[in-house]
Amino acid sequence: MADFNLNCKGLQCPGPIVQVFKTAKEAQSGDIINVKVTDRGFIKDIQAWCKKTGNELKELNETETEIQVKIQKK
Amino acid sequence: MIGAVAAGTKTAAKIKRENADAEIVVITKDEHISYAGCGLPYFIGGVIEEEKELVVKTPQEFKQITDIDVYTKLEAMSIHSKEKYVLAMDILEGNVKKYSYDKLVLATGATPFIPQIEGADLQGVHTVRTVNDAINIRSLIDKGAVSKAVVVGGGFIGLEVAENLHGKNIEVSIVEFAHHILPSFDEEIALYAQNYMSDQGVNIYTCEKVISIKGEEGRVKKIITDQREIEADLVIMSVGVKPNTKLAEEIGIELGVTNAIKVNNFMETSIEGIYAVGDCAENVNLITGKPAWYPMGSTANKMGRIAGLSMTGDQKNGLKGVLGTTIVKLFKLNAGKTGLSEREAIKQGFEVETVIVPANDKAHYYPGYRQIITKLIADKNTHKILGAQVVGEGVVDKPIDVIATAITFGAKVEDLENLDLAYAPPFSMAMASTILASNALLNKLAGRMNGINSFELKKRLDELLVVDIRDEASYLIRTIPGAIHIPSEELIYRADELKNNEEIVLICKVGKIAYLSYLKLKKLGFQNVRILEGGISSYPYELV
Repeated sequence: MADFNLNCKGLQCPGPIVQVFKTAKEAQSGDIINVKVTDRGFIKDIQAWCKKTGNELKELNETETEIQVKIQKK
Repeated sequence: MIGAVAAGTKTAAKIKRENADAEIVVITKDEHISYAGCGLPYFIGGVIEEEKELVVKTPQEFKQITDIDVYTKLEAMSIHSKEKYVLAMDILEGNVKKYSYDKLVLATGATPFIPQIEGADLQGVHTVRTVNDAINIRSLIDKGAVSKAVVVGGGFIGLEVAENLHGKNIEVSIVEFAHHILPSFDEEIALYAQNYMSDQGVNIYTCEKVISIKGEEGRVKKIITDQREIEADLVIMSVGVKPNTKLAEEIGIELGVTNAIKVNNFMETSIEGIYAVGDCAENVNLITGKPAWYPMGSTANKMGRIAGLSMTGDQKNGLKGVLGTTIVKLFKLNAGKTGLSEREAIKQGFEVETVIVPANDKAHYYPGYRQIITKLIADKNTHKILGAQVVGEGVVDKPIDVIATAITFGAKVEDLENLDLAYAPPFSMAMASTILASNALLNKLAGRMNGINSFELKKRLDELLVVDIRDEASYLIRTIPGAIHIPSEELIYRADELKNNEEIVLICKVGKIAYLSYLKLKKLGFQNVRILEGGISSYPYELV
């Protein structure tokens, strides 16, 4: 299983979710995608995206300035 | 001085500064003076830990600093304006005292309005106006006697109390009679705040009327609305306030159309030598020039200072009017308003143009920036700015204050657009949110852009062809019900799919890409194209 690390800091919505979307297409089942983001809108987006696609949102850490998520592809 | 919270003490202090020989007596029926009324919700929630933090000055401290006597627990009973004295009842001693005056100031404040419904007198039904109100509520919470609370009224105080109760792990429901919380705001902005509060776990019921409150053994148990029953062991009544004008009315002081005491620019009432300041007095709306009533601490203090100056002989600079500028924090969301709402402006007979523009409070590459949404309202004919509302997790007080200042000086949208505002990435976007909003509004006023607001789109969803031009992932996550998907980069060669005769609405995230695509479609000859103003990020209705 592979790990993908995406630095999407500074990218505004929909930048980060588009990156995740593309990476998830390349990834195999069970692969992990780690994403760092500064756009707050990403929180709701990634939750909704995981819900609709069935990929698992394993971690979501939020600070005042940064959001980090870990996703596992279905 | 009758009344000793903000306006009364401010007036007294200002008189003394102008004339050290003035003999001033301040009386209040309350136990506390000069307290931070606006801070009460935060005391309830424990954000402000102790009662003493709320009280700006005690009577003793006030006396020490200003040499002014303040008598608490002393209730003014009657004014005798010919003989110039006031009779007041000492609440503790039970006797009546007489105070003579040359000049009298009414700073009698306002009282929460309590609907005349069954059960309004039950234990556990509270208003939030005085320090003692807050102490009583806080002690109920600290005793562990509150697990469910209902707040009646979704105005500022109600919402702030709701947030603070929620912070105490109390299940909170808000019942609002109007269509949305924050009734003075326009619907699309208010709903944005409402959705946000719902997401935080506050139950919100709008368009509902409270019928009665039911109790057991004298204590509140549940609240009955025209739609449902809600269990509650605490009910907060925050449906509004009314000015305390009884003393004034008894001696024939004229009230204004708002039922508050009518005053001129120098706070003089219709009886010579008697002034009124603060929440009991009427204001003028600076935009309409008509009477209005804004019971706000910010306005009360200004009125106090002006009354003090005016009474000591300085009548150079009176209060010409106010804009009703307000701001509120709801969890991490901030919402501010200045001037007229779109609804108020139309009611006042203005032909308006409005725009909604999402932007950021800081540069998008500077960590910690947040989105803020600006609604700008202008007179379609004169382009004068009539009002604004700004909502978001970011800094909203700055743009609201900028716009309030601009309105005060009679600015047009064209003036706002070219303001030289402070910029560096940690503080603002290079094109500040206010300037972006002005640009978009000018595009509309010049006919360069044809927009539809979320409110109208929602109403006409069935008749319009909504085209979501965002990327595939964004469309998958959520879109407007019934929207078809054509990404912006494919729009030109797929334009045939959009029949020329249909009414088309392009939607993107904030409105910018939709505007660019709109221009392209226009070039291809499409006539009936509009864009969703503010994009999907400020659309407050159902998404799928």
